[in-house]
Amino acid sequence: MTAASLHLELPKLTPEAEALRQEVRAFVAAERADGRLPPPHRVGLGFDKEFTRRIAQKGWIGLTWPKQYGGQERSALERYVMNEELLAAAVPVGAHWVADRQSGPVLLKFGTDAQREFYLPRIAAGDLTFSIGMSEPESGSDLASLKAKAEKVDGGWRLNGRKIWTTNAHHAQYIIVLARTSIVEGSRHAGLSQLIIDMTSPGISISPIVSMANEHDFNEVLFEDVFVPDDALVGKEGNGWNQVSAELAYERSGPERWLSSFRLISELVDVLGPDARPSSLEELGRLISHLLSLRQLSMSVASMLQQGQSPNMEASIVKDLGTKFEQEAVRVVRNIVSAEDLTSGGRAERLKALLIHAQQYAPAFTIRGGTNEILRGIIAKGIGLR
Amino acid sequence: MTENRSFFRNTVERILDDNIDKGDIDAAEERRVLPAALHEALTENGITLMLVPEDQGGIGATLGDTAEMLRLIGNAAAPGPILETILGQKLLAEAGLGVTDGLLSLIFVDDVQDLPLDATYWQQAAAHDVPWAQSVDKILVVARDGTGARLIVSQAADWTITPGVDAAGEPRDALTAQALPIITTSLPDYDAALRTAAILRGAQILGAIEWSFRRTVEHAGERKQFGREIGKFQAVQQMLAELAGHVLASSAITEAAAEGQTSGLVAAARSRLGDAADAAITISHQVHGAIGFSLEYALNSRTRRLMAWRDDYGSVLYWRRTLAHRFTGLNRETFWFGVSDAGLAA
Repeated sequence: MTAASLHLELPKLTPEAEALRQEVRAFVAAERADGRLPPPHRVGLGFDKEFTRRIAQKGWIGLTWPKQYGGQERSALERYVMNEELLAAAVPVGAHWVADRQSGPVLLKFGTDAQREFYLPRIAAGDLTFSIGMSEPESGSDLASLKAKAEKVDGGWRLNGRKIWTTNAHHAQYIIVLARTSIVEGSRHAGLSQLIIDMTSPGISISPIVSMANEHDFNEVLFEDVFVPDDALVGKEGNGWNQVSAELAYERSGPERWLSSFRLISELVDVLGPDARPSSLEELGRLISHLLSLRQLSMSVASMLQQGQSPNMEASIVKDLGTKFEQEAVRVVRNIVSAEDLTSGGRAERLKALLIHAQQYAPAFTIRGGTNEILRGIIAKGIGLR
Repeated sequence: MTENRSFFRNTVERILDDNIDKGDIDAAEERRVLPAALHEALTENGITLMLVPEDQGGIGATLGDTAEMLRLIGNAAAPGPILETILGQKLLAEAGLGVTDGLLSLIFVDDVQDLPLDATYWQQAAAHDVPWAQSVDKILVVARDGTGARLIVSQAADWTITPGVDAAGEPRDALTAQALPIITTSLPDYDAALRTAAILRGAQILGAIEWSFRRTVEHAGERKQFGREIGKFQAVQQMLAELAGHVLASSAITEAAAEGQTSGLVAAARSRLGDAADAAITISHQVHGAIGFSLEYALNSRTRRLMAWRDDYGSVLYWRRTLAHRFTGLNRETFWFGVSDAGLAA
């Protein structure tokens, strides 16, 4: 990829994808009508194990996976459409999101037959929540400097280390940890491996980290002499860095990067009505134009994934633009709420609550899943500067 | 890419390679000299008739194909009323007046100036910011008339022309006439004509942005300071990565708009291109340093066209208001349906 080839093909949505869109809409509408899904007062992915099971019953976890592992063998574009519908409706998909998005696909791509047969059907059934064990207290953006160490012992590995910012570790049954399994002179990236670890293993302790949005999603997870059996190694010993790079493309390209606070914009539109002043319309129109552009980009990336390509740079661009968009959305909504005086005197309480929460949450948008500065480094490499 | 598009692309790339260089661009900007060979080649190869249906003597190309050609033309910073001629021929054919030889200029105005439909003269006629009025055969005025439009056709030679220029230095003239002979007829949809103009100009803007981006990445790889290429510095890398995002996002929405042609996508494209153009100008010049600021260096021929084109055929703010209006009647549930149905190139 160079600057000259910075180009995406136009996505083409199939009739099957549009049919699935209608199915998802009908499902969400029925859930709301039954009172099982109250409209959210917060941005971000909610966590609801029961809802995840109902999603699983529809066959919507592992949608693209082979049928033998509990999947539906549907296309990446269909999965994209399903996800954008679920995210726009702000339904609580947090209990299966990571497993569906990256843990499952990593096992599918790099795992052993036994691992696939054991984990994938359970993920697809909505029974398993996964966590990601990458960041450490002293290794954030410089992930390859991580210190978690797995030493070879009889029949497996002995893991010691500390993982941090571990979303849903307190709910998860499993975590895939990136740890050093060997020292390779001259390469920090070699010698890292991925291990899939049962959260009930002796030696694991979990401490909550409450965010400035006053939520407990994050944790610090301590591993002290945790025994990890041989069959828990994911992929090849020492190949962890390459596997993680592939995994991050899944993590970075999805519509959650620009739809996690969508509810804030739709709530504003609901309250604003058609009689806004021109300056508010100009701000809102600009925001919507960025939203539509991101959607086109995201669909193109889904098309590329569908064709078996690895759009790492494009995924980084989606996340860089998407997260900036989400922060910008908070600023724009705040300005319009102020200019149009929408929430004073006890009016529009849901919008008011969403805006407060979105403001508190917004600094995380451009940090989680790789800071924008790291992403821009990847983009710079993609256009041939590094 | 379809077979048709590859053929058009090869044709236009060859024409541009053969007929336009920095000297032609300078001559247009400094002395109002139209690059005649370029326009002859575009006309001879049917490019100016791309949007005219085949049964009316045209090529019958899609708007998507035509937009791709304007993207190449914007990339090359080719001067002249190319968009105006392509769109003018389409409107002449649509109005039943038939296509014409020679080049056309064209402007949009917001009211019909009290001209009866059967008027043969326009008294005290005036027109502003008319591109290349001294170099074309006919001047077309597209005037809003309720939801429809009036097409007013005049001979360029019948006007009194006061030269003016846009930010690129290309002619945009002020025109007056005491009693101007005209042919006037109606068109069904003013906004549809404006959208076609907007998306074609949008494609030209995209082409100029892409050229600036590519040249700037090349420059960052060539220019050395502190003993290494400036592209090795993180500060420069971060800026160019940001610009890459603007290029990719604006090309995605512009292509979708050219293919899908829905009013939402066109408005979104022009809004998004406004931000991308601003970023392209700022970042390309910042990375080039003083070198990019000279008239001699080719970057300015794209930069100044971006300045001239950014608010053509509906300003960036106009398109933002237009886009917002499509959504403000929706509620918290239907807003997403509006976003997802905004029109896909399916």
